[in-house]
Amino acid sequence: MTTNTRTIEKPKPNFETKSWMFMRYSAVLLIPLVFGHLILQDVIVGVHRIDLDYVAMRWASIGWRIYDALLLAFAFAHGVNGIRQVLNDFIQSDQVRKIMHWGLFLLWLIVTAIGAIALIGGVRPIS
Amino acid sequence: MQIKLKVFRYLPHTGKKPHYDTYEMEVDPNDRVLDVLEQVRADSDPSLGYRRSCAHGVCGSDAMRINGRNMLACKVLVKDLNSSKITVEPILGLKVLRDLIVDMDPFFEHFRSVMPYFVNDDPLPEDGKERLQSPTQRERFDDTTKCILCAACTTSCPSFWANGKYVGPAAIVNAHRFIFDSRDTAAAERLEVLNEDSGVWRCRTAFNCTEACPRDIEITKAIAEVKQVIYSGKIE
Ligand code: HEM
Ligand code: FES
Repeated sequence: MTTNTRTIEKPKPNFETKSWMFMRYSAVLLIPLVFGHLILQDVIVGVHRIDLDYVAMRWASIGWRIYDALLLAFAFAHGVNGIRQVLNDFIQSDQVRKIMHWGLFLLWLIVTAIGAIALIGGVRPIS
Repeated sequence: MQIKLKVFRYLPHTGKKPHYDTYEMEVDPNDRVLDVLEQVRADSDPSLGYRRSCAHGVCGSDAMRINGRNMLACKVLVKDLNSSKITVEPILGLKVLRDLIVDMDPFFEHFRSVMPYFVNDDPLPEDGKERLQSPTQRERFDDTTKCILCAACTTSCPSFWANGKYVGPAAIVNAHRFIFDSRDTAAAERLEVLNEDSGVWRCRTAFNCTEACPRDIEITKAIAEVKQVIYSGKIE
């Protein structure tokens, strides 16, 4: 009756356990990433001044490219996993769920790949 | 005071579709909604169906949707609704059997799935009498002992509305009551159930349950504590 903490054998983490933790970790990262992005692009720079020259200047720095890559990867994965949770509520059939999971994963992969190509390729003049 | 009471009606044996009946009636502002329903049965329509037993917020029979919120009809006064228009409907997410009566079987099935009873097969202590517990240890799960299984929380949860397989806040509250009991030894088995797809991870922190609870149990907090134990393996 001395100690009030007990340790038990915890259940093996499954996909839902990990996805729940991922939502928390990604949310913590998103706080600086999203607000930094908003303040810089929408307040300090302003959306009307964002053009090819500005993007080229910004992406000249590897630091900003990494920042943008992190923002893309985490915001989009967080959002897609959130949608997966919402859709899981409404889909009862395991098979349809599987299709939905793969569909969302492909969507995430394609958009992230397009973003990655842009980020790695950078801005080049169209000849 | 004069009120306009609108009640959800469904009497399967009459073959009529679900609909609303409206009653204009004179009531005392200090009447409870349950008194108002009793008055309807006595004066206008004895066929009105609802569950009630203790009439004092202890048995948990009469959870219903009153002006859109889950409450116990026996615990809410007409004057506290701040409106002369009162709408009474069955709780959501469970099949309506008749008027305000819903099928509670799925709810109790979820309740049973988390082993809501004390488990300890260790031999009794030396004196063979009691498994002792300090006041602090008892205090740890005091909040979740207050549940009366009225289902107001579970049927206010959007996750449960969308997917009836979700065990729901009431089952988790009752699991919490035993998981955090220092004398109990079956926490791991309960957490195994709650870690499944239909377990605690379906909770999205909407707080509807906490708002709906007529016993003021901090349900969302209790759910978060259970998630924490699954994650850390530590019962603190
Ligand atoms: C400051 C940044 C953000 C924070 C702190 C944050 C936090 C969270 C948290 C904690 C959850 C889990 C809620 C729960 O299950 O209890 C969540 C869910 C979600 N988030 Fe975010 N988020 C942020 C940005 C975003 C962004 C940028 C998007 C869209 C791309 C997004 C889309 C979603 C979606 C769709 C869900 C699921 C909602 C649900 O389960 O009902 N979030 N967010
Ligand atoms: S009639 Fe028992 S709780 Fe309301």
